[in-house]
Amino acid sequence: MVELAQYLLNGISQGCVYVLLASGLTIIMGILRVPNFAQGHLYMVAAYLGFYMVMSYATNYWLALVLATFALGILGLLVYFLVFYPVRNAPEVNLFVAAMALLMILEGGALSLFGTESKWFLIPWSRSVLSTGSLSLQTQRVIVIAGTTVVMLGLWFFIKKTALGAALEATAQHREGALLCGIKVDRISATAFVVGTALAGIAGVLIGPAVLLEPTMGMGPLLVAFSAIIFGGLGSIAGAVLGSLLLGVAESLASGYISATYSLAFVFAIMIVMLLFRPKGLFGKEVWRP
Amino acid sequence: MKGITSPQAAGWLLALIVAVLLPLFTGGYLTSILLLIAAWSIVAVSLNLLYGYTGQLSLGHSAFLGIGAYALALIAVKVHVGFWPAFFAAIAISGLFGFLIGIPALKLRGPYFVLVTLGFAAIVGVIALAWTGLTGGANGLAGAPRPTPIPLPWGGRLKFDSLLNMYYFTLFFLIVILFICHRLVHSLIGRTFIAISHDENLAESLGINTMWKKLLSFTISAVFAGVAGALYASYNSVISPDIAYFTRGMDVLACLIVGGAGTMAGPIIGTFVMTAIPEALQIVPSLRTLINGFILMLFIIFLPAGIAGGFKAFSSRWGLKSEERRHGAP
Repeated sequence: MVELAQYLLNGISQGCVYVLLASGLTIIMGILRVPNFAQGHLYMVAAYLGFYMVMSYATNYWLALVLATFALGILGLLVYFLVFYPVRNAPEVNLFVAAMALLMILEGGALSLFGTESKWFLIPWSRSVLSTGSLSLQTQRVIVIAGTTVVMLGLWFFIKKTALGAALEATAQHREGALLCGIKVDRISATAFVVGTALAGIAGVLIGPAVLLEPTMGMGPLLVAFSAIIFGGLGSIAGAVLGSLLLGVAESLASGYISATYSLAFVFAIMIVMLLFRPKGLFGKEVWRP
Repeated sequence: MKGITSPQAAGWLLALIVAVLLPLFTGGYLTSILLLIAAWSIVAVSLNLLYGYTGQLSLGHSAFLGIGAYALALIAVKVHVGFWPAFFAAIAISGLFGFLIGIPALKLRGPYFVLVTLGFAAIVGVIALAWTGLTGGANGLAGAPRPTPIPLPWGGRLKFDSLLNMYYFTLFFLIVILFICHRLVHSLIGRTFIAISHDENLAESLGINTMWKKLLSFTISAVFAGVAGALYASYNSVISPDIAYFTRGMDVLACLIVGGAGTMAGPIIGTFVMTAIPEALQIVPSLRTLINGFILMLFIIFLPAGIAGGFKAFSSRWGLKSEERRHGAP
């Protein structure tokens, strides 16, 4: 029983990373209709940025978190205008390919800049563990859960309570309608990209000290985040959050009770079964029919 | 390719002559590069059938490549059969996987399909790396056999022990697969593939069983990719999990798009360019993904039709005699 509770806790903390990635992906997908395959690699870039700021320039971890998030937001803006803006009117498939090209550039760039060997992102509390009763969790994992909660509340406030957030939601709901209401859709698309990549940035720096940094570290979480979006239902941030937490727990249970090596395979199996029987997900209203 | 005098036919003939004669005058290193170009071209041709002609963007071709390669080595080593039974079994296994994955995956469209194929590629990559008992893990798997000699009707035997012979062997399969693709695309089945790529709903409303046709295209494509994997394994004799790593599927897509998806020559031109440029510039392997990504990005933004597609558009604009002109509007 204690074992199960521990796995659930681990799953939730892992799920929080997926929450940040999946909600960023949902925002980008809602506005641009592009599954940003490079989201996981942007998260990897953020983790390395945080690593170099803290390890090489002795920056405070929290300052590094803020700086890396801003840097990723700016990177998102650049990526939007250099990559996705030029192909925005092209067939949908071209946008996928552009996202893939971005993934290849980021992975190739990370391999040659950061090297292939794994890196430890060390901060003062890297090795410390918090425990209550028989449950225990790495301190950084607790920070991940707390950080994700704060960020998601902020995101909810941004979308529901600010004019820019309302414009974002309106554009996601009906692009032409938003255009008719005088919303500058191109500007909103750029905003969506900035917010989406900044979320990936937060995820990367939050999880960095709890894992090994590798140039390929983004691929697994990316695929799980996509599965979570499909699981929760396309276009719904609440669905993405719940899907992420459920898949995080599923992954943790699978690695605890079955096999750690193949836990990702179980997550994909869940995704494929879900797609077969309920392609619109748990809360989704629509199925992607181009 | 109507008529032996068309510019296309002349181009193909010239390419064939160069492909056959070039390695006779160059060293072994260049021949090995040409062999790899031929092998990766087969994968690009197979992806072209699925993406270029049927409109289904798959990122799972690294998986079929890996399955073909590992299947050949495993069957030959563990079952102790000769090359040919192992070769055909490997191809069949690759096709079977394509068929089985295709059934759930092809019910999906757009990004969902891409994601499932990517997920499949990731799973196969993990298995190649983690199931050390079967695949040897990161150390790789040794013992993929070279083809057994074929007795010739006029006496003597066709042997495959030299690099040059292995190159011709691979080239032979490339030509055969290209020919099959050409016949397929110009057949009624091929027309339905193209109809699906233009508008799947419309194709369905015309009475085409789109699911079945997509599954056919996917399975054939998986078989061809399996051929390339088995050929590569046979040439290299040692297989590492790199072959099934998912970025290879993206590299193949990059080659296809740079060359021109939906054209016969595109996959070969693309593979040649994307392999020859880094080779000629002596770029270290770790930078290749980066450079391939940049090239792919430039093409998707500025010339999404690729080299062959761009050339086609260019020649029809400037009034060069092309196939479209002669067979097009009256």
